[in-house]
Amino acid sequence: MPIPAKAFQRWLQGIAPDTSTADVCRISGIKRTTLAQQMVRGKISGTTVVSISRAFNINPVDALAVFDTFRALGDPPRPPSRAELVSQVSTPDLLRAVLARPALDPAGQPSAGRPTLSPTPHATSVTNWVEAIDDGELRHRVSAATGIAPQNYSAQLTANRLAPELAVATSLAAGVGPVGGLVASGLITEEEAGWPPDARQAALDSLSDGELTTLAGDRLLALGKALRRQEQDQEKTDKIWENLG
Amino acid sequence: MIEILQWSTLATCAVVAGARVPSALRGENRTVFYIFALLTVAILLSIEAPYVAIDKALGGINLTNLILRFVIFAAIYFVGIRVTKGFDAEDGHRLITGWAGRAVLALISMAVVVLFLMMDTAGSSSGLNRVALKDARNGLLVELYGAAGRAYPTFVSLVLLPAMVRAVRSALPALVRMAAFLLGAGAVAIALTLLFPLWPPQWGTAKFIVNYTAVLCFVIGLALIWAARIRYGRNVPRKITYTTAE
Repeated sequence: MPIPAKAFQRWLQGIAPDTSTADVCRISGIKRTTLAQQMVRGKISGTTVVSISRAFNINPVDALAVFDTFRALGDPPRPPSRAELVSQVSTPDLLRAVLARPALDPAGQPSAGRPTLSPTPHATSVTNWVEAIDDGELRHRVSAATGIAPQNYSAQLTANRLAPELAVATSLAAGVGPVGGLVASGLITEEEAGWPPDARQAALDSLSDGELTTLAGDRLLALGKALRRQEQDQEKTDKIWENLG
Repeated sequence: MIEILQWSTLATCAVVAGARVPSALRGENRTVFYIFALLTVAILLSIEAPYVAIDKALGGINLTNLILRFVIFAAIYFVGIRVTKGFDAEDGHRLITGWAGRAVLALISMAVVVLFLMMDTAGSSSGLNRVALKDARNGLLVELYGAAGRAYPTFVSLVLLPAMVRAVRSALPALVRMAAFLLGAGAVAIALTLLFPLWPPQWGTAKFIVNYTAVLCFVIGLALIWAARIRYGRNVPRKITYTTAE
């Protein structure tokens, strides 16, 4: 359930009592038509709240926690698990980490400065996050708790998207801290989520050579499958154009 | 209402066929141009005024109607071979071009010609409406002749349908899937025409709408594929989103 317009207006009154809607839109970079549309429908998206809270220097997690749907965000913060942190390292960064291990590439030159990890989210961050916290029954629990059809949930993961309310529901169903999904879906940054700046790097470094290599292998396998499928779709499309275009 | 539908369908076909002329001159997929051109002719010959004018010039024995049948057969044949090839429906392609398809086409063509010759076809009338009113025998012959004329398009449509359903459910570009949906809808509409004899006579308008919907679906569907190719270009890699099948 998204944020009801009434609760949103009350919240906006609280943080910006003397600011007109037009000014709120201008400062936070939201299109006026977008906000107007959400108000008319009575459903405000999480993205809107996050943009406005950033513009007014409020932590987006605290802002979201005001609303019923996201009340879990107000609970005392819990550090992310190692698996969650590593899931938010992009596949290229992961592969670079493999090659940087002396045991895995003895001939490699020890590089002077270690490259910093690219910021969250990455191209497959949502699926990797769900896989990292999934005990095998997670998807069933999420669909039972939220009422979303399993195929619609899967479709979001495949598209590397996750609606904010689903992200929180997924965290709760998996028993991990509530912000991980919001980071994975790119709604908030790891800093806003309260993750220490070097947490992902530290988690990566704590993996043994074997764990790191297996993880990288899994990622490559999934990426290879996806690429192969795209190539097949492209071949099909080309054939259609060749014959009918 | 029907007149508007007829003339706007004709205009749509003519515009799309005209738009394909330059690429046809360059030699790109001439068959697709032939499909559009044949469908334009077919629509033209199915409208009362042009039909009567052309048929008068051909002797006033409704020979134009027989020509119309074969124009439709040719159009649907080209649609069949191109679409099955494009959408990778090997079985369908073999069914249409193989001995089975050729036998069906030969049998139906023969039936159409024989039934036409058995009728008293004097007096131009599109849809042979006035011929059917002459007497019971002619009425029955017109009914059978019409059914034979719809049989081959229905055969090809049913062959196309499974491949279209597959394409709609695939991960192909949205425009292509929309095109497949339209082609599938056209195929269903054509299949419905075979059931016309079972429809109550007062559903005449519905029959017209089904007929022209079928042609419009095919023309717009094929035009969409063409538009998709222009829109996406050739071999443009799409953005990697990914993950294994859920």
